[in-house]
Amino acid sequence: MIACVAVVGHQNNPLYLQSFTGADDALKLHHIVHCSLDVIDERVNNPKRSVITLNESYLGLLYPTESYKVYGYLSNTKVKFLVVTTDLDVKDTDIRSFFRRFHAAYVDAVSNPFHVPGKKIISRIFAVRVSGIVKAFAPGTYG
Amino acid sequence: MAPLVPKSGDAIFASIDRVNAELFTLTYGAMVRQLLTDLEEVDVVNKQLDQMGYNIGVRLIDEFLAKSNVSRCVDFKETADVIAKVGLKMFLGVTASVSNWDPEGSSFSLVLDDNPLVDFVELPDTFQGLHYCNILSGVIRGALEMVSMKTEITWIRDMLHGDDAYELRVKLLKQIPEEYPYKDDE
Repeated sequence: MIACVAVVGHQNNPLYLQSFTGADDALKLHHIVHCSLDVIDERVNNPKRSVITLNESYLGLLYPTESYKVYGYLSNTKVKFLVVTTDLDVKDTDIRSFFRRFHAAYVDAVSNPFHVPGKKIISRIFAVRVSGIVKAFAPGTYG
Repeated sequence: MAPLVPKSGDAIFASIDRVNAELFTLTYGAMVRQLLTDLEEVDVVNKQLDQMGYNIGVRLIDEFLAKSNVSRCVDFKETADVIAKVGLKMFLGVTASVSNWDPEGSSFSLVLDDNPLVDFVELPDTFQGLHYCNILSGVIRGALEMVSMKTEITWIRDMLHGDDAYELRVKLLKQIPEEYPYKDDE
């Protein structure tokens, strides 16, 4: 079950944060997302020498806490996509395809001439698409 | 010389130079955005877009007539079909359908299901009165004026305002007979 998704800009400014739990733990999720940003910065600043990172770096599991797992994805414009999930075992391929669709929705939202780069994403279509992607993701992990 | 056969919209579209659709969409979006920043009022921007479209239309009609070889339209109905099937296809890559003729045959609706100008666009609440594609109404008005038809064009449906398609109402005001710049008896 995906608890929340977040998009953070290249100056670590939040662009989009949506929680899907229904419970009122938005603050806790914000906090988790914040800590994950630190982990991303670490990974980016100390690249693994042996592995050549791909252009669109899928960062993988950032850190597992109590009941949550946080996955990260970095676009080449340093925009970070984060997903916090409560699932215990999630297939790598599922998460990768999730991020690909998420990135595609983000690109369409940013192409809106009325979107100001650096400001929060207020597009309703983006919110609907992201909810759709999240809903489509959840059943896949039980298959 | 053999009479020139009018080419179909698809054939012309395939034979002329084309530009990347996303580049076109993003350029138009940037232009509208800049107009909004400069002029600030939504009504003024609508008028400005119409005026820009008019300037484009008066020049576009020559290219259209040259490339498409359509013969002189017999009546307004034929004009409507030519605009929808050949003109829009040639320049925008989409066909429109013509509908809702009024009983005198002087006004019709052009319905566009698909519009490359508005890909990715979502109107924010502060600009709800904006007719984003107003340039199209100006283009059609300018082009028709150059072939002696004075028209009035209004938007009936707009997908950015929540409707399911784009509908333009084109009304023929009058046919202007061609005026010669010299008097006959001189």
